[in-house]
Amino acid sequence: MSESMPQGPIQPAPISAAPAVSRTGAPDAVKKSGSLPPGFTLRDVRPDGSHEYFLNMGPQHPSTHGVLKLVVRLDGETVLETVPHLGFIHRAIEKMGENETFIQYMHLTDRMDYLSSHINNLCVCLAIEKAMNIGVPERGEYIRVIVCELQRIQSHLLWWGAFGMDMGAVSAFLYGFIEREKITQLFEELCGARLTMNYFRPGGSNADLPEGFIGKVKTLCEEMKFSLDEFDVLVSQNPIIRERTVGVGLLSKERAISNGCTGPVARASGVNYDVRRNDGYSIYDRFQFDVPLGANGDSFDRYRVRMDEMRQSVRILEQAAAGIPEGQYRSKEKPNYKVPAGSYFAAVETARGLYGTYLVSDNSFKPYRVKSRSPGFSNLSAIDEITRGGKIADLVTVLSTLDLIIPDIDR
Amino acid sequence: MGLTQDNSLPIPPAGSLNPAGSLNAVDWVVGWARANSLWPLVFGTSCCAIEMMATGASHHDWARFGLEVARASPRQADLIILAGTIVEKMGSRLVTLYEQMPGPKYVIAMGACTISGGPFYYDSYSVIKGADRIVPIDVYIPGCPPRPEALLYGIMQLQALIRKGAWRKSLTHQPLNTSPIRDVYSDCSKAWEIKEKAKQESMKEAQERFKAENPDFKGVVIKRVAAPKFDEVARVPKPARGMPPAEIFSALQARFPAVAVHGNADVTQEKWAALGPEYVLDLAVSREDYHGVVEFLRNEPALKLDFLIEITAVDWKDHFDVIVHLQSLDHGHKVFLRCNLPHETHPEIPTLMDLFASANWHERETYDFFGIIFVGHPDLRRLFLDDDFPGHPLRKDFEDPTRVVKRPY
Amino acid sequence: MIAYSANHPVGDFIRANLPAPLAALANGALSVVVLMVLVVVVAILLVWLERKVCARFQARLGPTRVGPFGLLQPIADSLKLLLKENIKPRAVDTLAYFLAPLLPITGSFLVLAVMPFDHNLQVADPQAGMVYIAAVSGMGILGILIGGWGSNNKYSLLGSMRAGAQLFSYELSMVLCMLLVVMASGTGSLREIVLSQQGTVRDWWIFKLPGAGALAFVLYLISSTAELNRGPLDLSEAESELAGGFHTEYSGMGFSMFFLAEFVNMFASAGLGATFFLGGFLAPQFGIGPLDHILAFIPGFIWFFAKTGALIFMYMWFRWTFPRLRIDHLLSLEWKFLLPVSMANLLLAATLVTLGWILP
Repeated sequence: MSESMPQGPIQPAPISAAPAVSRTGAPDAVKKSGSLPPGFTLRDVRPDGSHEYFLNMGPQHPSTHGVLKLVVRLDGETVLETVPHLGFIHRAIEKMGENETFIQYMHLTDRMDYLSSHINNLCVCLAIEKAMNIGVPERGEYIRVIVCELQRIQSHLLWWGAFGMDMGAVSAFLYGFIEREKITQLFEELCGARLTMNYFRPGGSNADLPEGFIGKVKTLCEEMKFSLDEFDVLVSQNPIIRERTVGVGLLSKERAISNGCTGPVARASGVNYDVRRNDGYSIYDRFQFDVPLGANGDSFDRYRVRMDEMRQSVRILEQAAAGIPEGQYRSKEKPNYKVPAGSYFAAVETARGLYGTYLVSDNSFKPYRVKSRSPGFSNLSAIDEITRGGKIADLVTVLSTLDLIIPDIDR
Repeated sequence: MGLTQDNSLPIPPAGSLNPAGSLNAVDWVVGWARANSLWPLVFGTSCCAIEMMATGASHHDWARFGLEVARASPRQADLIILAGTIVEKMGSRLVTLYEQMPGPKYVIAMGACTISGGPFYYDSYSVIKGADRIVPIDVYIPGCPPRPEALLYGIMQLQALIRKGAWRKSLTHQPLNTSPIRDVYSDCSKAWEIKEKAKQESMKEAQERFKAENPDFKGVVIKRVAAPKFDEVARVPKPARGMPPAEIFSALQARFPAVAVHGNADVTQEKWAALGPEYVLDLAVSREDYHGVVEFLRNEPALKLDFLIEITAVDWKDHFDVIVHLQSLDHGHKVFLRCNLPHETHPEIPTLMDLFASANWHERETYDFFGIIFVGHPDLRRLFLDDDFPGHPLRKDFEDPTRVVKRPY
Repeated sequence: MIAYSANHPVGDFIRANLPAPLAALANGALSVVVLMVLVVVVAILLVWLERKVCARFQARLGPTRVGPFGLLQPIADSLKLLLKENIKPRAVDTLAYFLAPLLPITGSFLVLAVMPFDHNLQVADPQAGMVYIAAVSGMGILGILIGGWGSNNKYSLLGSMRAGAQLFSYELSMVLCMLLVVMASGTGSLREIVLSQQGTVRDWWIFKLPGAGALAFVLYLISSTAELNRGPLDLSEAESELAGGFHTEYSGMGFSMFFLAEFVNMFASAGLGATFFLGGFLAPQFGIGPLDHILAFIPGFIWFFAKTGALIFMYMWFRWTFPRLRIDHLLSLEWKFLLPVSMANLLLAATLVTLGWILP
């Protein structure tokens, strides 16, 4: 074990089949500069290491949006390298899932990405439906689309407010929340919860839409169009915001794909991939909507893609609200959900990107293993590449435009 | 965490502040100032933090109570609102934050997780079952998450406590609660059952007397809403996009003859059709072929599986399966891989970091949870858990009675 | 031109009844007490105002529970801060850590000593009043630098280094803007600067020098916002980046001193702006007989506080509207834009004064 990695794994005896790579695999730079904390790989920028210092950001820091810890190597205000440390909200959801039934597991996915909880639930439902061959009635599909798009808008609204706050425009945070509160109240009418919904079920949802819901959605669409234009005037067109985001935090298309980035982060870098469009789960293939793409992959592109996405979601909502049929909202309930043996994977597009559920069943009422592929996990892993060479303020900009939900990353 | 020394000032019992049994004027003014100027620390770990932010937003506006001066530095805060689950790794940080605050300081436990572990009570190896194990708590707010109104009510309760003289709370921390982990929920339900039984027995006589006096009484009829009946709906499968699995498999088999389809050792043309339109190719590869197969799938222009969805593992008790999910962003098809590893303490498999940058964290996570070593990984440390965490928790043989309360049913 | 008397009746009374050295001492002590009360009252009012204004900008109500309209909220806050435990972290430089919070408040206190609140309400009126202001306002920067260094915390250090770079730079353009008025009025005494603006509103320096005055006023507003460490130029605190900046490690009294200094500074800055550009304690006159008489009837200190209040509202408006700048943008804004422009503006004003192109 090298000196620079005092906390590395316990190494067993080598086996012959393994390729001849260094056991700890530490690059030369780490080995030579034995004083670097774990995770850092860059060679010393100055030979004597002067002017450099390490800054711990988090786990309690206002701009890490939860309990993310970043160890930043700085030269003055310039970021040389960033090493994220995770696990400060690792709640063992995957282990717990192995001892709960398939339906019980759904309520845990609420608490992972709590701003996309409907969409997370949908993903588990899709996997179970695939496994047990459950169909969804027409009205149920429309309900799913409407609720998921509402969820996407409210998530982006909260992101927009938090972005404003990170940029120092505190009032924007409050304006974002004013709009978000309207959608939260709609959800409260829908399922009684404001945040952790647990509303969808395999085969539909656990209740029909409340009376007058569609009318309220239509009103909300009109209001959203107006307030999105207002937001553009307040923040998008602000010269200070432009100066701080355009050209800051560049992520190239190739690196975005290699780092597994999805969602608005990848689309801002020009990756034309949206699970709604490319996989067409539920009935997304019936609606007209564009997938907004960025050209440069900088922070402003990530900002703009999310703003455009809200407009596209409003467009989907309008079509779905106009076309929702009457009828039953779910298919026949099963007495219990005994999933046949096998492994099942379903993916959805949350507000942050590709969310996947991988269920392994051994033909019982409880999953043998569940795994969630969370979008923030991979989006965050690119942070070192994005922030290298920027200022501390750029690090805050990038963290904000990556739109991280730490419990989603840590699970 | 070394918090055993009791430095707390003696808290006088109620009514002993002065002979009249009430607070004097100075006490009243100090209590008034402290109750009306609670500056919260910017501290939120998960879902409850969003509701805490909503409480601060225009609709609920905790500024009405003078709370909008949220401080990012614990040195200037009076109140920690524990918004969200506290896990073991965060616990030591929370104690540090609490100690960094100047006294008198107050803690509100917001939500079920900080009260008892809440939904994460059973089977979780990392969640602290109640934040009052590590910091003293003044007000508990139940809910998952509690509504903003509930948080405001909790704040008002805390204000009332401070006004009553709770401001005499010690300037420094209180001793740690170091009680062992018990299944308190099961204990509660047992105690409840015993209580119910005693109640039934004590009521027995009265019930019999009532029956004797009213022989015609049939009981109260409760109208129930009939559960709606739903029809079966046929499932409309979404055909998998991109290249059909049979073609991918034949292209691969030309290069790697040992590769097989998982669960269908010898697939024929008819069997491919029987797998259905949704079927995603699920390959079983050997450890020797593993890296080569992934490299081929990624670099072959016709396949171009350039996007790594995830790497994970499944513990089948007698062996491990390392699972790799790949997708082609251009063509749309997916390929799932599984590689059988022996059930050792630290089975080994080559890393994929030279092909996908995202493999870095996925492999660290798999190492953390299962102890699988990815040979050639430059930085194979634990990702989520503390470095001194015993064992690898997602293995089926993982047991840790000091951390885990097993679900009793 | 009205001849204003510089002597206040109270001062005259003391001078008449006490021997000269004792009278000077008594007058000095009286001024200190009055200024101290003023500082406390102003800070409390401004804290309340800031929280209310901010709340209204954000569609909220702000403090409502303590006293009428939440007016007692700042009093509760300051009482609580005074009664907090005072923590001295183990690794701090004790002398620097405890000295630092005193300096900014001293600096702004000293500025108030030469502030002409009314024609006869001014503690001292040195001929080099402007130079004195430039000198003592440096104490605020010193306090932040010492505090950040003495805290032995990386966030504090970063914050104070930012503050150093920012405040030293912006002081240049701020002083240049004030110099413009000194040059045009021909005096460095604050009282005489105010008196040089007698007449109608057109005689205020903001309008009197065509173009140059208004430009100097805008430049003064920008650079004094930076001097005040207020959003959008609050880089040394930058909560979303540096947690608390230079005051991260301060609690209780130390923090409340910084907190107090921030608001007193804002009052001083706004007061200077009103003095230099908006005619200070002079009532606005529009050349309309009856209206002018009514306006002139209102005492001068009320006009001073009204003008200062308007400028303070501007500062608050900036803070709750704009996002924060980045440190390199901030410095290039000063060195590449504000400083050259204010220098050119000074030249322009000099030309105007020499050629006599001043509004009559």
